[in-house]
Amino acid sequence: MEYPRQITVIQAAAIITSTIIGVGVLALPYFAAGHAGTASPLITLAAILLSFFGLWFISVLGMRFRTQSIVEYSEAILGRWLAFAGNLLIILFFAALTSLAAREFGEVVITAVLKRTPLEVVVAIMLLIAMISCRKDITTFAYIHHFYLPIIVFPAIVIVALSLRNAKAINLLPIWGNANSWSNLLGGVLVVAALFQAAFIYTMVIPYMRRPERALVASSAGLAIAGGLYLSIVIAVIGVFGAEETKKLQWPTLELAKTTTLPGNVLERLDAAFLALWVTAVFSTLFSTYYFTIFAIGKLFRMRDRNMLAPFLMPLLFAFAMVPTNVLHMYQIIGQVGRLGLYLTIGYPLFLLIVAKIRRIRGNSDDQGRVARPN
Amino acid sequence: MTIFDWFQRRSRKKKSKQPPLPIPDQYMEQHADDPIPNNLEKAVQLFTGLLEDSQFLTVRRFRLFGQFPAAMIYFSNMVDPEIKNADILRPLMYVPDHLAGTRIALKDLSDIVMNDALYYTGSERQQKMGKVILKLLRGGTAVLIDGLNDAIVMETTKIAQRSIDQPETEQVIRGPREGFVEQLGTNISLLRYRLPTTDLKVKTMDLGRVTKSKVAVCYLKGIANDALIQEVFNRLSKIDIDGALDTGYLEQFIEDSHYSPFPQIQNTERTDKAVANLLEGRVIILMDGSPFALILPTTFSQFYQTTEDYNERFLMVSFVRLARLQALVFSLITPSLYVAIISYNPELIPTEFAVAVSGGRAGVPFPSVVEVLVMEASMEMLREATLRLPQQIGGALSIVGVLVVGQAAVAAGFVSPITVVVIALTTIGSFATPAYNAALALRLLRFPLVGMASMFGLYGVMVGLILIANHVLSLRSFGVPYLTPIVPGNFQGMKDTLLRFPLWSMKRRPTLLHTDNDRRLGKDVDNQMKRPTNNTLDPLKVGNEKEDAEGGISPSDHGDTSGGDHH
Repeated sequence: MEYPRQITVIQAAAIITSTIIGVGVLALPYFAAGHAGTASPLITLAAILLSFFGLWFISVLGMRFRTQSIVEYSEAILGRWLAFAGNLLIILFFAALTSLAAREFGEVVITAVLKRTPLEVVVAIMLLIAMISCRKDITTFAYIHHFYLPIIVFPAIVIVALSLRNAKAINLLPIWGNANSWSNLLGGVLVVAALFQAAFIYTMVIPYMRRPERALVASSAGLAIAGGLYLSIVIAVIGVFGAEETKKLQWPTLELAKTTTLPGNVLERLDAAFLALWVTAVFSTLFSTYYFTIFAIGKLFRMRDRNMLAPFLMPLLFAFAMVPTNVLHMYQIIGQVGRLGLYLTIGYPLFLLIVAKIRRIRGNSDDQGRVARPN
Repeated sequence: MTIFDWFQRRSRKKKSKQPPLPIPDQYMEQHADDPIPNNLEKAVQLFTGLLEDSQFLTVRRFRLFGQFPAAMIYFSNMVDPEIKNADILRPLMYVPDHLAGTRIALKDLSDIVMNDALYYTGSERQQKMGKVILKLLRGGTAVLIDGLNDAIVMETTKIAQRSIDQPETEQVIRGPREGFVEQLGTNISLLRYRLPTTDLKVKTMDLGRVTKSKVAVCYLKGIANDALIQEVFNRLSKIDIDGALDTGYLEQFIEDSHYSPFPQIQNTERTDKAVANLLEGRVIILMDGSPFALILPTTFSQFYQTTEDYNERFLMVSFVRLARLQALVFSLITPSLYVAIISYNPELIPTEFAVAVSGGRAGVPFPSVVEVLVMEASMEMLREATLRLPQQIGGALSIVGVLVVGQAAVAAGFVSPITVVVIALTTIGSFATPAYNAALALRLLRFPLVGMASMFGLYGVMVGLILIANHVLSLRSFGVPYLTPIVPGNFQGMKDTLLRFPLWSMKRRPTLLHTDNDRRLGKDVDNQMKRPTNNTLDPLKVGNEKEDAEGGISPSDHGDTSGGDHH
């Protein structure tokens, strides 16, 4: 390739946004309302701030080590074997994230639209389209996210805008919630923040950015769009249904889509159409996490050719996706994995950053001319 | 010569008891650099032996300047008789006036012929057998002179060619009406006519072991990227094939992804389109014998643009372009959306309409996917049939096919009326796409989409579209990402994608081609356009007359002082 550094700031921001926005948005208000009631918008905001810290650490590390991803610079910072353990955990975590996202969407699809289709088929198809796309190079990876961004953001905005007709401001009050304990609120923040952690794959993107010094700008913009969208969905759902009702809905965002109609009754119901467009969002998240898993494995074991990894990984991912016995069990596992993931996606980079500062290890960020190996 | 003649001659040749000659082409390859025998009889025998075409190969013997035995060899019907008689034979038979009376020595003969006698421009001396034969095969004329090793070879080709007219495949309402023809020379002259600049470079190469077709790579130096041109030559030079009969052959060898349904190289018959692309910094490949020029690199947006878009005013054209884009989308997804909604999500459509649809489908025994596939298949059949039929019946058949059969199928309870509407929309959509090859790709892809829709509903359609989009996003044409001005985004480029911005706002050439010289408009155009124009015929200035009272500044006779009654 002529210029290995191809990814622009806009593309990087698009990658973050479309990676974050995934199947989680369907259940997001349910999680938030379950923990915080009417304080849901507030804890969503807090979660956005928390995940901003995570992205900030990654961006700072990325700008410090401009030609390396976390797998490589963690070795430089911590030494080979300690880093190996950390990276292995990250790989396992992202593999789990991929499986669970596919499973979660599979559950949504067989519950909402394809009621007679086996769950396995839907999950397998989602994993399959992600797998097929994993052969593409990182530039195409960026193009795909860039291209899908409007398709992901636009329907959500439409749903929010249309549903605001039915929303009542009183449903959102009190903003501080009713008699929430602090631990409850904090738990809610962590659960919601877990929905943002796929943005961690940004560490893979920074070495291929045309201007890595603007990595922080891109990540902030990407998180702002995704966070703003999540926040507005939470506000819309709570505003329409009220906190108590939201606690009883499995996928409140989907219910929101059901209650809205286009003006003029062009389409009588929007939920199926919304869900269809939402396939793109789920795909882009799956694609990111799958791609990152393979990328990290390739870097960890110093493989030259990663192309064969994706098909080999797929049966494992599929098997893990089938582990939860039902939806409730699945959400239990998602909750546990998500909490664990926060240590990895926020704690681990922070730890790396502190050690790097103490040991005064810098990447080759001073020599602008050197570029990452073409992917 | 028809194939029939050729077979006849082949069989005749077998019967005659001539000494077996080696296969001429192989002989030629081995002896290409051999000199021409200086004995006239031997030379003539060699040529006639090799070319062996008793009916069309003509050997006209004459005496050069009335004294030296010579022979003129050519393929009749390929040679312009005017040139052959007046410009070659006549000056060679007579001694040139200014040399009358001087003795001409054999050793000076060739110089005298070239410098004094022969005034036809396209002539040269040639000593190698191979070159002479090649010239003859391409319609040249060779003059052999007894005692000389030189043959004099002249460009006399005259092949019948069709006239330059509007290309059938790319018609426009407003715009030039000339299209390329088969002859390469004519095509290049058409390009030069529109681009009288030294920067227009035409590099030719021969391609095809047997056909030896001339391939011309045209570009504007300083605008087209040098690395791109180098790459085009590299890819072309790898082709080794017995015959290339159309630029389509070349396209299949030099494209990036051979298995993609999407064309990565555009073709055109229009000269103005070729020139516009040259001006943007693209490369044009022409081939002798093909009226289609290849344009490369190509991005997806080019397939729904037409040259007319730039001739008409931008506002209307942008609207038309949106309609065309809609047609493109329709041709891809309408049938699959229909199948998905009818079989999985009928709750999406308004109740009254859903009732009407199911009412129409009441008597139809098949699931909607079968209906759609049957209709699609018959539509494809009809399309192929109208293509093959003579024009006179074609129109009649398409009416019979579409109206009568469609109506009868509905009446027979075979398909529902709404399916007919859907298929008609799809077909019309695919005809509205200007580029035939791109329309073909979408036409092909909608079958798997219908399949996905029938199995997984809207979810399946979306999965199919995601797969298609991912594929398109990974396509490259000579390194240029296929969806370029949109992804990766480029604001200057986006001015010419969904809408067509005014010409004066598109100041730069597309950056995707990495041209060295990217200014399309002059630097001052903006200022010049902002300057107020002189509204010469503004009624306020010309004369604001009301009955007899004069309100304007010009006299009532509009400055015409010559009196009223001239005729």
